[in-house]
Amino acid sequence: MDNKRAEIRSIIKDTKSLPTLPGVIAKLTALAENNKASVNEMARVVSSDQVLSAKVLRLVNSPFYGFSGRVSTISNALILLGVNVVKSLALSSSIFEMMEKNTVGLWEHSLGAGVAANIIAKKLNLPEIEEISTAALLHDIGKVIIKIKLESEYDHLIALIKEKDMSMLEAEKNLLDADHAEIGEWLARSWFLPEKLIEPIAFHHNVEKASTQLAKTAVVHLADVLVKASGFGFSGDDYVPLIQAAAWKKLGLNEAMLENIVAELEEKLVDCKNFSLEIQSEGDTKT
Amino acid sequence: MTQKLRITVISKDRDFSSQIGLWLQGKGLQSILLHELGSVLGIIYVDPPDVVIADLRHGDSETQNLIRDLRGDSYFSMLPVIGIFEENAEETFDWSGCPLDDFIAYPFNHAEFFSRINLSLQRIGRVLDNNPLTKLPGNTSIQNAIEKALGRDLAVCYIDINNFKPYNDTYGFSHGDEVLRMVARIMANSVREAGSGGFCGHIGGDDFVFIVNVEKAESVCQMIIDHFRIIVSDLFGEEEKTRGFYRAKDRLGNEQEIPLLGIAIAVVPMNTPKMTHFGKVAEVSAEMKKYAKKSGESCYVVDRRRT
Repeated sequence: MDNKRAEIRSIIKDTKSLPTLPGVIAKLTALAENNKASVNEMARVVSSDQVLSAKVLRLVNSPFYGFSGRVSTISNALILLGVNVVKSLALSSSIFEMMEKNTVGLWEHSLGAGVAANIIAKKLNLPEIEEISTAALLHDIGKVIIKIKLESEYDHLIALIKEKDMSMLEAEKNLLDADHAEIGEWLARSWFLPEKLIEPIAFHHNVEKASTQLAKTAVVHLADVLVKASGFGFSGDDYVPLIQAAAWKKLGLNEAMLENIVAELEEKLVDCKNFSLEIQSEGDTKT
Repeated sequence: MTQKLRITVISKDRDFSSQIGLWLQGKGLQSILLHELGSVLGIIYVDPPDVVIADLRHGDSETQNLIRDLRGDSYFSMLPVIGIFEENAEETFDWSGCPLDDFIAYPFNHAEFFSRINLSLQRIGRVLDNNPLTKLPGNTSIQNAIEKALGRDLAVCYIDINNFKPYNDTYGFSHGDEVLRMVARIMANSVREAGSGGFCGHIGGDDFVFIVNVEKAESVCQMIIDHFRIIVSDLFGEEEKTRGFYRAKDRLGNEQEIPLLGIAIAVVPMNTPKMTHFGKVAEVSAEMKKYAKKSGESCYVVDRRRT
């Protein structure tokens, strides 16, 4: 079984790029054609997409630029890389050739988690809100690796989840001897992402294991659970995990606060749904 | 183990580039063949090669624009770019419009082809006066650029980082260097966004200079100051940010409250009668810088005196 883990790590080492939804690229291309596209507009579109965000962060944190592991938000990455570099990066991105239900579902789930984390961080008055939202956006990046780079295993996973009524997490551990959180952590390290983003990715299913980024990890975990419960997007299975005790404790949550967060989240998810429909229709017309 | 040298070949002609690819592989070089011009820059940014070879046999203006864009980013000014021309086409080539390092005539002489690649790699070891930290042009280039700007509708702007020295002393050189690289990127990106024809240089330490159209100068200054403020927030903890200072010992061992980093810019318009030589620019800029530094806050000061 050790071989499987080594195999996945070696695949990750060679992964320099991952595909993006065609609609996201179409939107960025349209922005790029408009010469006045500002840092803020670009940042908004980039931060709707987990893969593109990860790529931008990989580039700005790569040894080539000399900010190793320092940059953890999309707006900072855009300021340092410049609009031109990010445009070129987007234009060279590969795209998902088929808009499968699961691909769009995972994209929506990540977008929703980012939005949920933003709401939670604001309500709880936490520092570094943008870092927290970025970590939540990226929390399931390991699932993209599994789907794209481990295609045959991915089909097995889907079958296992259906037939044996397993959760995605259990099925992954069974089949890959690693789960998407760990695989996401490997990718995040290999892509030079900062620790602020790595821990929440690595421990969003195991909050108590987080050390230096406990609060961020707790928010990302909560965001993940709430988006799953909301029914927006699809992260691979229909199973909604419980909110872990470590997260309750670290964030000082109570029922009333949670209700308050959920109410705002439901409102914001309507906008997310509209944005997603827009992205999907742009993808259709351009392909 | 030494890494294989990586050569990117840009050509719309697939047969042609795969031929070059085979040659390169034969010599133990790794080739990256790019045919889609639209994605070339992104691929180079993500994974910079050691040398770029561009097919210019058909006087392709799209490829020339691409090379210009690549060079527009100071980080890629050191990357050797070799153009391929039809024999004798180099005589009429617009060298100033398309910044190449070298060319190879087609059809190729096999030995010359590899010598050119080797030569271009050797040359980058002894390039110009670019600052090794920020890769921006250094003082010789800066002086030339300022002399060329005299009397024109341009502004020469001097950047200085507020409270850089204590930051460097407290957090160490590697963090200080990071700040310098950040300022370099912020400045270069802001100048680039203001349109073509700008210039950016690194005088040394925390002193930088940029030249832009005089009408855009203030908006570029403001953008640099705003962007620096956002970036700086990543360098300090929450507590320091809300307080606006950090505590550190000065050279005598006394604890001091040191304000966070900021940016001061002295703007010297070149389109006034008094701007006749480089020394005058330096003199006025030193004066403006004094005003800009006075408040201790991030700001820019423009010299509006005609004489």
